[in-house]
Amino acid sequence: MDAAALRHEMPPEVEALPGLLDRLEEFSEAAGLSPGAAQRLSVVAEELAANVAMHGKGASRLLVEARREGDSVHLLIEDDGPAFDPLSAAAPDIDAGVEERDIGGLGIHFVRRMTREAAYERRDGTNRLTALLDAG
Amino acid sequence: MQIAEHREGATTIAALEGRLDTATAPATEEKLLSLLDGGGLVADMSEVRYVSSAGLRVLLKAAKQARVKGVSFSVCGLQPAVREVFEISGFDKIIPMHATRAEAVAGA
Repeated sequence: MDAAALRHEMPPEVEALPGLLDRLEEFSEAAGLSPGAAQRLSVVAEELAANVAMHGKGASRLLVEARREGDSVHLLIEDDGPAFDPLSAAAPDIDAGVEERDIGGLGIHFVRRMTREAAYERRDGTNRLTALLDAG
Repeated sequence: MQIAEHREGATTIAALEGRLDTATAPATEEKLLSLLDGGGLVADMSEVRYVSSAGLRVLLKAAKQARVKGVSFSVCGLQPAVREVFEISGFDKIIPMHATRAEAVAGA
């Protein structure tokens, strides 16, 4: 297998997320990502996978793929749950103080801020979220 | 996630080690909230290599509980990649951050 590529199938469960993070750390190291880029990749992938695990009732499988191409990292998160576009979630108010600060939507805020591009499509009964991140 | 407790005067230091993520958030939250019963708390994050939104949620809850109890809560020793997560979320403006444990205790 190409050292700079990851293909990880997991059950859509919160308990399976540490295993995903382990694999992403291995990938980031093998692919030579900077510490910042490795963190961003893990955050984006975990947020999207956790979203499926916690809200994607009816999904039976979750696939995470990552590969490095030059200065870019391509990420794919695919699940077979009901159609849902996580990118449609509202943005959080990141200027709110500690009292009124609500955590909702923060995961998707990270996805938007830590990727160069992110896109959702429904194809052949699956949700496909693709994202492009910086490798450096 | 491993959490070691230390005491410095009236302040408790919780030295976290590992990942603060969706899986480790519930146990970490329980621990930090119980430590806040003893007074001011500093979460030393220097051995935390990863924080996700679930992890931030735990720190926000601790900050809110500290405010209710009238005690201090701060974090220290953030690794650069973790600091970036704080900054992107705006948490650097709502949770006091210190470079070192000594500075955090002095500011508690």
